[in-house]
Amino acid sequence: MRSLIGMLKIIKVFPPNVVALDDVSVKFEEGEIHAIVGENGAGKSTLMKVLFGMLAPNSGEIYYHGNQVNFQNPGQAIANGIGMVHQEILLVSEYTVWQNVILGVETINKFGQIDEKEAIEQVRQQIDEYHFNLDPQALVGEISVAARQKVEILKLLYRNVSVLILDEPTSVLTPQEIPQLFEELRRLRDNGHTILFISHHLDEVLSLSDRITVLRRGKKVGTVQEGETSKSELAKMMVGRNVVFSSIKSESHKGRKIFELKDWTSIDTDGRTRLNSVDINVRSGEIVGIAGVEGNGQHELVNSIMGLYSPSEGSLKVEGMELTNAPILERRKKISFVSQDRGNMGSCLDAPIRENVLMTHHRLNKRFAKFGGWVLNYNEAELLTKEVQEQFTVHMDTSDAEFQSLSGGNQQKAILGRELLLNTPFILLDQPTRGLDVGSIEYMHRQILAMRKQGRAILMLSADLEELFRITDRILVLNRGEIVANLQTEETSIDEVGFLMLEGKHYEAKTD
Amino acid sequence: MKQRLINGLAGIIVAMLLGAVVMFVQGYNPIETYYALFEYSLGDWYSFSTMLRNSVPLVLTGLSASVAFASGPVNLGQPGQLLMGALFATVTGLYLDLPAFLLLPLMIFAALIGGMLWSGIAALLKRWFNMDEFITTLMLNMIADYFTYWAISYPFAEPGAYSPMTPQINRSGWMPEYGHFNSNVIMMLFVIIIVWFLFTKTIAGYEWRISGKNSLFARLGGVQTKKNYMIVMLLTGALAGLAGGLVVMSGPHRFIKDIGANYAWDGVMIAMVANNGIIATVLYGLFFSTLQSGALGMELITAVPSELIMVLQAVIVLLVVAGRGYIDILLRKQAERRKVRERTT
Amino acid sequence: MKIFIGLINGMIAAATPILLAALGGTITYYAGIFNIAMEGMMLGGAFFAVLGSYYSGSWVIGIISAIFGAILLALIFILFSVVLKMDEFITGIGLNLFALGATTYMLRQIFSVKGAFAGPGIIPVPYLDIPLIKEIPVLGEILSGQNLIIYLTVIITIYIHYLVFSTRFGLRLRAAGYNPTCLNTSGVSTARVRVWSLIICGVLCGLAGAYLSLGYVTLFSENMSAGRGWISLAAVILVNGNPLGIALISLVFGFSDGLGLYLQQVLPSQFTSMVPYIATLIALFIYSTRRKERELYE
Repeated sequence: MRSLIGMLKIIKVFPPNVVALDDVSVKFEEGEIHAIVGENGAGKSTLMKVLFGMLAPNSGEIYYHGNQVNFQNPGQAIANGIGMVHQEILLVSEYTVWQNVILGVETINKFGQIDEKEAIEQVRQQIDEYHFNLDPQALVGEISVAARQKVEILKLLYRNVSVLILDEPTSVLTPQEIPQLFEELRRLRDNGHTILFISHHLDEVLSLSDRITVLRRGKKVGTVQEGETSKSELAKMMVGRNVVFSSIKSESHKGRKIFELKDWTSIDTDGRTRLNSVDINVRSGEIVGIAGVEGNGQHELVNSIMGLYSPSEGSLKVEGMELTNAPILERRKKISFVSQDRGNMGSCLDAPIRENVLMTHHRLNKRFAKFGGWVLNYNEAELLTKEVQEQFTVHMDTSDAEFQSLSGGNQQKAILGRELLLNTPFILLDQPTRGLDVGSIEYMHRQILAMRKQGRAILMLSADLEELFRITDRILVLNRGEIVANLQTEETSIDEVGFLMLEGKHYEAKTD
Repeated sequence: MKQRLINGLAGIIVAMLLGAVVMFVQGYNPIETYYALFEYSLGDWYSFSTMLRNSVPLVLTGLSASVAFASGPVNLGQPGQLLMGALFATVTGLYLDLPAFLLLPLMIFAALIGGMLWSGIAALLKRWFNMDEFITTLMLNMIADYFTYWAISYPFAEPGAYSPMTPQINRSGWMPEYGHFNSNVIMMLFVIIIVWFLFTKTIAGYEWRISGKNSLFARLGGVQTKKNYMIVMLLTGALAGLAGGLVVMSGPHRFIKDIGANYAWDGVMIAMVANNGIIATVLYGLFFSTLQSGALGMELITAVPSELIMVLQAVIVLLVVAGRGYIDILLRKQAERRKVRERTT
Repeated sequence: MKIFIGLINGMIAAATPILLAALGGTITYYAGIFNIAMEGMMLGGAFFAVLGSYYSGSWVIGIISAIFGAILLALIFILFSVVLKMDEFITGIGLNLFALGATTYMLRQIFSVKGAFAGPGIIPVPYLDIPLIKEIPVLGEILSGQNLIIYLTVIITIYIHYLVFSTRFGLRLRAAGYNPTCLNTSGVSTARVRVWSLIICGVLCGLAGAYLSLGYVTLFSENMSAGRGWISLAAVILVNGNPLGIALISLVFGFSDGLGLYLQQVLPSQFTSMVPYIATLIALFIYSTRRKERELYE
């Protein structure tokens, strides 16, 4: 039987020296749900982008329905029935659902005018056909993330796409929204569509897919049937060694309260309450995690703690020092901060590594100033960079090289190093391991736990529930700007936390 | 570093070739023309020192733009700040009759204040009302143009003059000349060294550079971005004002209409082609001064209109900047191809 | 009353080139291009208008050649910023300076004059008297007797609004600005949409230039766009798009220009010339203080 899609010996290089795909060959069958798994950086997205025509392979061939194809751009792929839904939802938030769906294939009259009524009708028909439950005239910017994902899929179905590629579709959903998506995908498969999806969540992969292909560092490790493998098998293929899935923290002594946030309230310029009387305490030697669906107040919380703007009400104290309205430099004497936006908030990509590492240290530590505090002591800056490089195993060419020349994992390590060496009593971490490979994640966790042992107070926001359950002592759940739960990690479950993240109210464990 | 040098030279050479083609098509001899151009600006000591004297406003406004752009604020107000600096210096030189060693520093100080004042207005508008300095500095340019026009036509006008201008400033306010070498060049060197040191070696300079590349990161790191913004705007305004003052003090010794000519916009262009680098700005400033100083000679000898130089300058800027981006892309493609070859052989 | 009508007519006349250029700027604004080259395109259009009208003896050719000249400049912008992916800001400034230098150079080379070129050989764009309307008291003197280009501008403004909000091109145009990656993966080339937007901008700025040198006055002088391109840019930024809003703002600016002329009886001319620029600052002030401190994320 001839495979629907065949990708043979694909090589893709990203300058200057990253080999993203190293001689990869895979076959996809019609009417199957096929998962592509691997760590971050394994090449999963790259492989699909090559198929979809977003990236041109440096060498290799692609066959579709038995014919060799070479899509120059996504438009061609879509015209041939292959469509991709990206991890970052790519829709125009300012447009409505129907406008987004028809963008690019609009029906027009002879003056170039769009027939609005006709378009809305057509979109509505498709929504009903696939049971998607969407309002065609809703503004995409105002609907939920899960709904936006459906719009993306709808966009492809509107163009008669039969092969759907989904890139990490569950990364933007809560545990409760996932089964609905899977149901829809199964329905589509039963309808004759082929689904290729990228993921690194092994439980989901095993529950949804028919076959699974594993990639590691740009090479294909193998393709297996769903019934013939297990989670630990897959993990081993992904990483190349046995991976531990359970909690790794030891007991630690918890001291007095270091971080005290009280009645913290934030109202935005449109009058909406983003944070409502939030109370958070963290003691020394404690790691407190904050779980929540994106958009429930995390940004506001982090930004107001750091001092980018002031809250409408509330007080912030670290080690007893009142910081509610303090300038940012004052806060930095007590707070280290690893932001979730590595490139925009955590670093200056086109500045040299040395100058990135120096930030904040240059004001807080007198050793960096010469001649009465005016001139910068570059020698000391160099020494600091070396400290970070050694203590945090950052691989760099020279300290002069641009920060963006470092790999993602090394960038994050450098940032962590810079922040931790500030030796502050309180550490704020926002998605510290997002986008990193398993090795780097394990490393970061070990460092964070070491800080805990040192008696520092750590507050960590994370979308990765597994991560929270691995290293935190307590978990807070943020829902619509309120802390709806304050649970000891050992006394709760992923299901309970997931439920609270979505519903914000009391969870009842199922008992049959 | 070497890459930038090659890129710059390539852009200049290609632009000059294009200019040669235009000249040729119009019936002029390009080689004769370019020879006349460079001979007239660099040929002998007189020409060279004239070129240096003329480079001062270019380099100073170029530095003003470079430092501003590299630190964040979009200060496009050099034309206006230059005029205000020139006006303040002129008025000081008209009404204060003091010996040179007092008057010269006072006039320079007045020029700095004039430029600082003008950029300070834009800075305050941004600080208090969040008004984009891009637009405010541009509008202030026009306003300064008309304001100085009025000032030299009415309150400070030279009675009986055939076109708007002020009387000559007191003799002791003239920048001293040694032979043909004008001391404003010494002033310029002094300023270059200060600016370079400030920008590359100090803590403040570090904060400005990082703020210019990523102000959010700087802010989160504890940098007082608002205070630094103000300081940079004032400093760069002062630089442009100084340029204006020096033009009056070392040139016509009075404020005549259009004394600012195109200096400030050329300075902005220089900053762009130099990619906001301090040393590069100085070098390009000298080069453009060479072109401009030689333009007159070019016209005298081969009758090619001096306006061609304006066009040539703009083309150089476009080519060098475009070339910068293109070389980047080329190098990446090269690296990519090399890696693939490694894999498939 | 005569003064009032004079003021209104002056306002309309002064607003027209700003409006046209601002409409062009709006189109590129929607496409997501940071276009500051309207000043240069307008100047180029003004020069080519005189060139075309003088050598052909026809104002129609003058307008066509103005549009041609401005499109030429737009193509240079396209070459550098879209094809070579150079920074749009630098390209814009470079283009403006290039247009200034080139028109000044050509003024000398072709017409052998410095400063300005005027003369009976330049055929201006006619003013139109509308038969019945001109009889209406007061309104008649405003609605009739305006320059042809002004009437064209009214039609164009309405058309641009239709183009941006009701046609397929408009949908794709705005998408190119809102989310270019999304547009690309929807199968439409953002680059191509942007190229078209720049060409449209060229057409509009060319027309604005033609109005300056063949309508408002009948001559070309060095740098005759005199900062109007910058004012139209301010208009685009202030209004954030929307062609009808642009029209309103342009009238305000035109009014301040006309007011300036009127005030010349009272103040020295230099101060009255400042009026449009001060007006822009005031408008920016109102806009900026109403827009509250944007927060640093979404």
